[in-house]
Amino acid sequence: MTAATKIKPSAWQRSAKALETAALLLIIAFIVLPILWLAITAIKPQEKAYTTDIIFMPTLDNFEIIFSDESVIINEGTERERGEVGRNMIPNVINSVVVSGATILIAIPLATLAAYAFSRYQFLGNGILLVWILTTQFIPAIVVAIPFFTLFRTVEVFDRPLLGTQLGLIIVNMSIVLPYAIWMIKGFVDALPGEIEEAAFVDGCNDFQILFFISLPLIRPGVLVASVFAFIMSWNEFLFALIIGREMRTMQVALMTTSGARGIMWEQMAAAGMVVMIPIFFLALFIRKNVVDGLTMGAVK
Amino acid sequence: MRKKRWVPWVLVGPALLIIVLTTIYPLLAALYFSFHKYKLRSPPQFAVQIGDGGISIDWSLLTLDNYALAFSDSRFINSLQVTFWFTVISVALSVIIGLGIAVIVQKGGKLHTLTKVLLIFPFAVSPALKGYSWRFMLNENYGIYDLLIDSLVIKPINFLLSILNALPIVEIPLLSESIVWLGDKFWALFMLAMSETWGWAPLIALMFVGALGSIDEQIFEAARIDGANRAQIFFRVTLPLLRPVILIITMLKTIFSLKMFDQVVTMTGGGPVRATQTINYYIHQVGFVRSLDIGYASAMSYILVVVLTICAALYVSLVLNRD
Repeated sequence: MTAATKIKPSAWQRSAKALETAALLLIIAFIVLPILWLAITAIKPQEKAYTTDIIFMPTLDNFEIIFSDESVIINEGTERERGEVGRNMIPNVINSVVVSGATILIAIPLATLAAYAFSRYQFLGNGILLVWILTTQFIPAIVVAIPFFTLFRTVEVFDRPLLGTQLGLIIVNMSIVLPYAIWMIKGFVDALPGEIEEAAFVDGCNDFQILFFISLPLIRPGVLVASVFAFIMSWNEFLFALIIGREMRTMQVALMTTSGARGIMWEQMAAAGMVVMIPIFFLALFIRKNVVDGLTMGAVK
Repeated sequence: MRKKRWVPWVLVGPALLIIVLTTIYPLLAALYFSFHKYKLRSPPQFAVQIGDGGISIDWSLLTLDNYALAFSDSRFINSLQVTFWFTVISVALSVIIGLGIAVIVQKGGKLHTLTKVLLIFPFAVSPALKGYSWRFMLNENYGIYDLLIDSLVIKPINFLLSILNALPIVEIPLLSESIVWLGDKFWALFMLAMSETWGWAPLIALMFVGALGSIDEQIFEAARIDGANRAQIFFRVTLPLLRPVILIITMLKTIFSLKMFDQVVTMTGGGPVRATQTINYYIHQVGFVRSLDIGYASAMSYILVVVLTICAALYVSLVLNRD
């Protein structure tokens, strides 16, 4: 090869490299833009929310409005003081935290025990049972919601119908959270070498001693990941929250209450959206490597 | 190893019981409702009565009317069509864009790694919020997407077209710069599918990154030595090797798309003129918003169950037969 032909491919490679960088930047823009725009809108002053301006004085007014009972005065000192009635979404945040928290507190211990059994024991129909648990995820949520709606209208706990209560929503959430959690934790138990348990067995531990003192401590990181995944699932759940939760609005449903005289008050919706999103953001980063396994129940490796 | 036969049942029992109660019970109850006249406004008369004299069944109260109604209800047929097209568009876009992202991102490099980390972000955005944010951004007056599409896509195309039109050969009509995205039947459905793609393509990319990473590098090396170029390697080596994974992901995404509900509520509200009423959305309307007809809603959701059962069977057989 001559010197001239040596330069040519490198020039070609350089433009391919530039093309690749451009593609990557495009992907980043595609992913980040909606999130970024929501974040920008959340700190925009009200009068700028309905524009595409990106130069403005950042403000926390919108968060103040969605978290207070009283009317919040905006544009203080101007001739016509424009006030906004507070929405007070604190109860909604509490609903979301209680429902998602209680859902994982109930689901995760049960799922852990079940996952351990599926991973470590041969019992009648365990393979079929496991696949059946997988297929429950393909039941449309609306089919689960209809009978529970009619049931919870009449079933009373502490003299209150279950419909529109946190407990009602927690019960129905089990139908989506438990199967995922079982599959996810089973993956972690499968990855644990059985020799340690064998050794404990030889040393005279019984089944439950092995489970609680040997295996559980070892799979704790996996259980934590599954808990975070389950928390995100129930936090972001919408259909049950709408139909079963009713007036007990979780944050997902409360997003719908940001409409008023101006239609949807986008700056308030964006602020509420940040409240819904930011905690999940960090949780999602934390379980980044396991999300795919969780969603596909380990089908794609 | 350890052989106490009751132990696994003790461990599995509680979880299994709850799964049965929260999935099998509603499946059976909804099936039962679907054969009755059952509206929320009036207390239903059920065929099976449990009284002092034991169980009695009044067969005359059972009816197939709800199923008959479904197939003559133009709104239900419409919701089937909407769901079908939504599924086709969102699955195709999610899988193709997801694969594209994975192929680009897969290699090393700082920007590649950063992008890989960012891929998880749409997962953190709840579907309800996704719907609202897209609705906001697509607004024809102040939406950032509307602005970007107009200035980066429509205006350049129109500029080229106007140059072409200046030549006295052809006369091509210019594209409209004032499309109301969610007010147009086609665009509303398309944008609904795009919002779904935004949420899923990055996740699917992550799935493909994993699958691509597990392909032996020597296979690509061999293809390169044999003189294959990048395109040939992609179409003749990578794609065939990924085929099982592509099938599984496509099936999984199909199932998720068929269940589409959240964004319809927050993004389009089913409109314009029912153009985005998916099956789930229409069932919700019938059962809980408009006629409060639980019997009919149950019947329609059972039709959805049948469709999803077929998909689930396909999915499970794909997963089980993979190796």
